[in-house]
Amino acid sequence: MRQEEGLWHRLDVVARSISPFFVTLLLVLFSLVPLRIADLSPIVPALALIGVFFWSVHRPDLMPIWAVFIIGFVQDLLTGSVLGPGIVGLLAVHALVVWQHRFFLAASFAVIWCAFMLVAAASLAVTWLLTCIAMTAYVDPAPLFFQYLVTTAFYPCLAWAFLRGQRLFQQR
Amino acid sequence: MNKPTGSEIRVASPLKAWASRFALLLLVGAAFGLMLIGRTNTLLVEDTRSAVTDMVTPILDAVSQPVDTFSGVIEQAESFTRLSAENQLLKEQNARLLQWQAVARRLEAENAALRTLNNMVPDPAMSFITARVVGDPGGAFVRTVLINAGDRNGVEKGQAAITGDGLAGRVAEVGQRSARVLLLTDINSRVPVVVGNGRDRAVLAGDNTNAPELLYLGPTAKVQVGDRVTTSGHGGVFPPGLPIGVVSGVSDKGIRVRPFVDWSHMEVLRIVDYEMTGIIDFEAQVGAARAAAAAGGEPASGSANAQ
Repeated sequence: MRQEEGLWHRLDVVARSISPFFVTLLLVLFSLVPLRIADLSPIVPALALIGVFFWSVHRPDLMPIWAVFIIGFVQDLLTGSVLGPGIVGLLAVHALVVWQHRFFLAASFAVIWCAFMLVAAASLAVTWLLTCIAMTAYVDPAPLFFQYLVTTAFYPCLAWAFLRGQRLFQQR
Repeated sequence: MNKPTGSEIRVASPLKAWASRFALLLLVGAAFGLMLIGRTNTLLVEDTRSAVTDMVTPILDAVSQPVDTFSGVIEQAESFTRLSAENQLLKEQNARLLQWQAVARRLEAENAALRTLNNMVPDPAMSFITARVVGDPGGAFVRTVLINAGDRNGVEKGQAAITGDGLAGRVAEVGQRSARVLLLTDINSRVPVVVGNGRDRAVLAGDNTNAPELLYLGPTAKVQVGDRVTTSGHGGVFPPGLPIGVVSGVSDKGIRVRPFVDWSHMEVLRIVDYEMTGIIDFEAQVGAARAAAAAGGEPASGSANAQ
């Protein structure tokens, strides 16, 4: 009986430790679902960016850099865009957050949201630049700007859901 | 567990920092490596992409169905509010279309008669594969959709994807049970077209905006706003005469085309199997037929007719 409890406990720990990775992968998948809303498609929020940022800030131990790489890889494969720029964009998010992790420790939600705006802008700019280079074509950045606005507006909703989920886990 | 001593921490922290920096550099390098592989070995990337897409398509298929149902319900509710106006509009349109039907029947008969008179080679037969749109990646860089039909359903690379309104795009990647359709508006899309009554040849090039541009139009071509744009059939990939859209703007900056397809309500796509093998295969076949004829001493004309 004791052994069984130990097994369940261990499974629970494993499930908790991999959940940020899988939830972010699910977000990548979810952003592919066609929503049939006019003109929304080019400016859908970059959900994976939100996931990677959130967990790099709040649980950097559960969002290691290799997980970020895999999420970016899967995202680039599924969206059908050039392979690589999306990965570098997400790695940049992770690197920026880890570089300033002391700042995030004491920051309030509003401050973290402001930081997200800066980090997301840097990440999307890097992705855009690398995509243009890789495609050897100039891609109009206007939809990307609107995508950026939608993503930053969407951040509080998703962050709230993540925080609720985290608290639910901790209470059990 | 024993707590680490002060000296252990002093040694471990810089080591850890170095390791994480090294990992970052390594992975960024790997990403750049993938970019290079994407440029040089496109087949490998396509195969990987199709494999991953195949894996997630059943999930997307399941998730997109309730979304479709929901948007269908909303659409129905909207249409209830303007039922009588729509009815009136449809009656008028029906009357107009009946006239057109009479004209089309007459022209069809005349066309058939003239084709027999001229011994014209008939167009290859067309068959259709109908598939649901299960994924729309969105974003600023691509205009593609995923469909839930692939190799096992007979979908092949290069085939045209149409809706009831007109051409939507072409099949760019094919997996076992899924395929990716490159839309007309994507920056990589190039479609040979003819414009207006003058049937001027041009290439319709997407640039990730909703209105693709007409390129390589001859200097004598006269194009006006409202001219119809249809596929030309050049290149042997698309059947000729598929409606694409109308010219929406003519300016010094270029000629823009507004496609007929309603991108936000594209739930089902029909993949056109034109049973013609594209210009590259065709050239290879002609080359092979000539070689065989030269070896066997027979004329090569017979094999071209067999096409």
